[in-house]
Amino acid sequence: MTTAVAAGPVEYIKTIGLTTNQSGRGFTNPYDCAFAPDGRILILNRCDTVRASLVRIGMMNWEEDYLGEFSRGYGRADGQWILPVAIAMDDQGVVYVTDEQQHRITALDTDGNFVRQWGEKGSGPGQMNGPAGLAMNAGETLYVVEQGNNRVQRFSTSGESLGMWGESGDGPGQFNMPWGVGLDSAGNVYVADWRNDRIQKFTGDGQFIAAYGASGDGQLSRPSGVCVDSDGYMYVSDWGNERVQILDPDGGFIQSLRGQATLSKWAQDFMSVNPDERNTREMSNLVPELPPHLDTPYLISSQTEPYFWGPVSVRLDSEDRLFVVESNRHRIQVYQRRKG
Amino acid sequence: MSNADIALMAHLMRRAGFGASRDELEQRVARGYENVVEDLVNPGSPNAMPDDVIRRYHVDMAEMRELNSAGAYWIYRMVTTDNPLEEKMALFWHSLFATGYSKLNQARALMNQIDTFRRHSMGSFHTMLVELSKDPAMIIWLDNNDNHKDDINENYGRELLELFSMGIGNYTEDDVKECARAFTGWTLGNAEYMATRASRDSIWPYSRIAWHFQYRDHDHDDGEKTFLGHTGNFNGEDIIDIIVQQEATARFVSTRLFQFFAADEVDAAGEAVIEQMMETYFASNYEIRSVLRTLFNSDYFKSEAARFARVKGPVELVVGAVRLAGTYQEPTFGADQLARYTLYMGQGIFQPPSVEGWHEGSEWIDSGALVERVNFVGKELGDPGNPGVKALIDRMSAGVKRPLSAEEQVDACADLLGPMELSSATRTSLSEFAGEQGEADLRAGSRTEADDQRIANLLRLLTATREYQLA
Amino acid sequence: MTTTNNSRSLVVIQLAGANDPLNTVVPYTDGHYYDFRPNVGIPTDQVIPIDGRFAFNPNMAPIKALWDEGKVAVVNGIGYPNPNRSHFRSMDIWHTCEPEKVATEGWLGRVIRDLDPQGQNVITGVNFGRGLPRSMGAPGVPVASVGNLETYGLFPDVEEERIRGLCLDAFGKMYGGTIQDAVMDYLGQTGRDALKGADILRTAPENYSSTVEYADNPIAQALKNAAQVMTADLGTRIYYTQHGSFDTHGDEVKVHGGLWNQVSGAVSDFMADLEEHGRADDAIVLIWTEFGRRIRDNGSGTDHGSGGTAFIIGNQVNGGFYGEYPSLAERDQLDGDLHFNNDFRSTYSTIADRWLGLDPAPIVNGQFEQWDFIRN
Repeated sequence: MTTAVAAGPVEYIKTIGLTTNQSGRGFTNPYDCAFAPDGRILILNRCDTVRASLVRIGMMNWEEDYLGEFSRGYGRADGQWILPVAIAMDDQGVVYVTDEQQHRITALDTDGNFVRQWGEKGSGPGQMNGPAGLAMNAGETLYVVEQGNNRVQRFSTSGESLGMWGESGDGPGQFNMPWGVGLDSAGNVYVADWRNDRIQKFTGDGQFIAAYGASGDGQLSRPSGVCVDSDGYMYVSDWGNERVQILDPDGGFIQSLRGQATLSKWAQDFMSVNPDERNTREMSNLVPELPPHLDTPYLISSQTEPYFWGPVSVRLDSEDRLFVVESNRHRIQVYQRRKG
Repeated sequence: MSNADIALMAHLMRRAGFGASRDELEQRVARGYENVVEDLVNPGSPNAMPDDVIRRYHVDMAEMRELNSAGAYWIYRMVTTDNPLEEKMALFWHSLFATGYSKLNQARALMNQIDTFRRHSMGSFHTMLVELSKDPAMIIWLDNNDNHKDDINENYGRELLELFSMGIGNYTEDDVKECARAFTGWTLGNAEYMATRASRDSIWPYSRIAWHFQYRDHDHDDGEKTFLGHTGNFNGEDIIDIIVQQEATARFVSTRLFQFFAADEVDAAGEAVIEQMMETYFASNYEIRSVLRTLFNSDYFKSEAARFARVKGPVELVVGAVRLAGTYQEPTFGADQLARYTLYMGQGIFQPPSVEGWHEGSEWIDSGALVERVNFVGKELGDPGNPGVKALIDRMSAGVKRPLSAEEQVDACADLLGPMELSSATRTSLSEFAGEQGEADLRAGSRTEADDQRIANLLRLLTATREYQLA
Repeated sequence: MTTTNNSRSLVVIQLAGANDPLNTVVPYTDGHYYDFRPNVGIPTDQVIPIDGRFAFNPNMAPIKALWDEGKVAVVNGIGYPNPNRSHFRSMDIWHTCEPEKVATEGWLGRVIRDLDPQGQNVITGVNFGRGLPRSMGAPGVPVASVGNLETYGLFPDVEEERIRGLCLDAFGKMYGGTIQDAVMDYLGQTGRDALKGADILRTAPENYSSTVEYADNPIAQALKNAAQVMTADLGTRIYYTQHGSFDTHGDEVKVHGGLWNQVSGAVSDFMADLEEHGRADDAIVLIWTEFGRRIRDNGSGTDHGSGGTAFIIGNQVNGGFYGEYPSLAERDQLDGDLHFNNDFRSTYSTIADRWLGLDPAPIVNGQFEQWDFIRN
C-alpha cells in the first residue's frame, strides 16, 4: 500500500484548446493527449466520418502556442487511421496510436513519418479486437485495452505480444467493454472497466489487486479513463456522469469535479474578432437553471458550457497536472492537486 | 392463421410501424389485431440501441453538432425500437410541426424537440401544443424570441393557428395578433447569445450549447386580449385551452392523422372515419392515443380500400428496408449515410422544405428520388449476406422439396416482402427475370451461395417495382 | 432581351462553406489588409498582381491567365441586404432568391422550366454530386443528380454486368405497362424518365475523347463530367456542382489556397477542353459563394462575414471588375465585415436575360439592374 500523503483539494488551472472544423490550430473531437519530454503537448483528434480528413495529432505547448500537426491521414493505408482512440509516446519520441476500427496500433514519429504498425482483428496473441486504451510503462512496454476481447494485452514497442489477461464478465479480472488504462509509479495497471462501471487494479503482469466503484448513485457510470499521480491518487473520467472523480490510494472518495472551463487563449482570440458573440456572451448565464426534463448529466452538460462534456481521457503530465480531454467540447481542462 | 390475417397485420405494421418480418407478423396475429393496436398505442420499453454504446462509437452523435449525425441517431432508434408506433408518431409530429435545421444550426435542440414529441406523442393534444410552444427549436424557427411585449412578432402566433391546429379560415387577423401577444415572453435561456450563435452558425469556442425554455415575465404582455370570442388576460396556455376546444382543431388533427396513417386521399368513406376520430378527440379530452385507436380499429382502415393507398415516405422506406435487412443493429461505420439517403430521396430529417412540411403522397416521387429509392433498398435487400435477407431466404427454403420455378420464386418473395400485391404485368416481368437467372434450389444440401444470390437479386428487383413504393 | 440560343449553357460552381474574398482578390497595396490579417494575410511578394491595387491569390495563376485573355469578370462586393451569416440560411437565399422567408423553389429550377417548359428533355439540368441543390429544385422540373457519370443510373451496385442488364430490362417492362390508377401511372412515367435519363447520360463518356488531363480531385472530375455531357450534345443547358469546404476558420492560408489551386486548375482545364471541342463560345461558368468572411483574422483563419466575390468566366464574357471593392477602413465596415454594394440577383438577372434569353424578373423575384459582363 502506498504511503498516504494528505489529500489536498484539486484546483482548476486553465483551459486549453478550441473547436475547429479545419486543420491547423484547434481540436476536432480530441480523444487523448500525451506529453513529449521537450514540453510539447500532443493531442489526438479522433473525428468522425463527416470530418474524417481532420484526423490528426496536433501539437502545442503549455503557453498555448500552436506547434503544428502530423498524421498519415484518414484511411486504411500504412499508418493511416479510421477511428483512433488513444496515444502514448516512448522515450525515443515515437508516438503509438490505437485504432479500434482497424484493430491495430500504428507508430509514427512527430514529423509524421511512418515507423511501424501491427495488429489485425482476432483473439490470438498479437491480434486485437477493438483496441482502445493505451499506456506506456518505462518507455518500453505498451498496455493495450481491447474492448472486443475484454482483455489487456502487453506489447513491446516493436509490436511483440508479451502476454495478456482478462475475459468477458463482471468478476475480478473480467471486463465488459473496457476503455482507458493508466499506470502508477510502481507499474501497477488500472483499467477503466467501462460497462461494469468500475476501475480494476492489477499488477504489471495481470494479478488482480482491487476494484473500485460500482453502478449507481454517487458511484461510477461508464468510466472512460484513469490515471494515477505520484502519490497514488486516482483520477477517473466518469464519462457517463460527465465528471471526474478523485480517489485516494485505497479507493476512498476524495473529490468530484464537474468542470469549470474558461476561455483558452485561442478562444479569447476568437472572441476578440467577433464582438457580437462576445457581447451577448457576456450578458449570459452559462450555468443556467434547466427545466426538469433536461435531467441527465449528458443533457445538462450539453446546455452548460463550463461543465465537462464527453470527458474521454485523463492524463497527468510530469508535474502532476491533470489534463481532462473533452471530446464534445474540443478542449482540455487542466487541474492540479494542492499537496499537503 | 389465414393469409388474410397476415395481410391485415402486415398492413397495420406498415402504417403503425416500419413493416415487419413474417416471424413478427405471425407472433402479432397470434396475439389478435385489437390487442396489437393496444400494444402499439401503449408503448413499453423501446429496447432500442443503447445510448452509451452509440456515443462511445460515434463521436459525432455524442457531440450532436452535425445535422446528419442527429438524423442517423434518430434512424438508429427507428431501426431498433420495439415501439415502432412511438417513432412513427414522432415522425408524424416532425412532419406537422416542421422545424428546420437551416435557421437553427442546432442539431441537439432538434433532437430534444423529437424527444418532446415522443414523450407526448400519444397523449393530450393540449399538452403537446403547450410543450411545442415552449420548445426552443420552435421558438427560434418561428422567431418567438423576437416576440416582445412592446414589439410583437406574429410568426409563431400565426403558424400555431394556421399550420399547427385549426387551419386557415377559422380565425381572423385580430386573433393572430392577440395570440402572438399571449406568447410574448416565451423565449429561451440566454436568448440573445443563442440567437446570435444560431444566426452565425457558430460552433465557437467550444461547440454548440443546447437550448432550454425560459419565460420572461417582464417581457410578457399581461393586458386583456380577445381571442376567438373569449376575453381575458390570457397567457399562452389560456390560448391553447381555447384552441383545443375548436371543432376546426379536431378536424385538422384527425385529418392529418388519417392522411399519415390511412390514405393519401380522403374519400367519402374516409370522411366518415374522420368524423368518428373527431368524436373520440372530444370524448377523450383530446387524447391522441384514443383517436389513433379509433382509426386503426375502423372498418375503413382494415378494408381493402386502405391497402397500399399511401406512397411510402423516404424515412419510412429507408427504415423499413434496414429493419427487414437486419443491418445497423449495432453502431455501424458510416451510419450518417442513412440520413443522407433520406435527403437524396427528398426527406432530409430536420430539413423540411419550409414550415409547411413536406409535400407527401405522389409528390415524394420524381425521377431522381425514384433512382435513389430503388438503389438504396435494392442494396439492402439484394445482399444475401445481410442477416435479415439470409433469414428470409432460410424461411423460404424451409421444407422445399424441389428447385423453385421462376413463378414460385416470385410468389414466395412477394409473399415474404409483404405480402405484396403485384399486377399481372409486374409478375410476368419478374418471372421472366427469374427465368433468365435460372432456378433456385433451396433444398438443404443443394442450396449454394449462387441460389441465395438469385433470390436476393429477385428481392432487389421486387423492391424496385411500382408496387413496393406504396405502403 | 437577346434571342434564345439553344446551344448556350451555364455551368454553376458553388464554393461551399463561404469563400474569403480578401484572400481571393487581395487588396495587396492596402495597409488595412495587412493590419487586419496579421496571421492569414498573403505577403505582397507572393500574390499575383492584377493592377496597382488588387492581386489574385497565389494559387490562381490559371485564372489569371484567363483574366489576361479578357475572359474573367469579377463581381466584387456582391451580397444582399441584411446579410445572414449562417451557411444554410444564406445558401437558401442565394438558391431561392428569397431573402425574407424560407422558400422552396430554386432559381435554376425556374430557369430550367423556362428553357424547357414541356419538360421534353429530362436532362436539361444536371447536377454533378449527390442530392438536389436547392437552386435546381422546382415542382415538376426533372433534374439528374450524378455522383459518377460512369456508374450513374439504376442498380449501380449489381456487380455482374449480365444481371444488371436483366434488372434494367425488367425495370423497363415493369414501369412500362399502363395501370388504371393515377398514382401507378405517375410512377410508371417517372420510372421511364429515370431510365431514359440514365441511358442518355451513360452515352456521354463513351463518345468523349480529349487531350486535356483533368486533375484527380472532385471539382476537376465534376467539370470533366460536365464537358463530357456538353460535348455529347444531349441538350443539357444547366450544369451544377460544388466544391469545398471554404469554411476556413482555421489553417486558412493552407486550406483556402489548396482549394483555389484545385478550382483554378479545373476551370482552366474545362475551358481548354471546350476550346478543343469548339464549344468554348457556348458556355459560361458562374462561381458563387454564400457569404464572405470577417476582415480581421482570428489568429488562424477567418470567421463568417458578409460581402463576397463572384466570378463569371468564358469566351463570351467581358472581362474586368464589376461592383466596387468594399473599403476595409474601420469606419466603412459593417460590424467588422465588408459592406455589400450590389445584389446577387443583378448577376443572376444578367445571366438569365443576356446569356440565356429568359425574362429574369420571375426567375429572381424582381427587377434588378444588370451588368455588362456578357458580350453582345
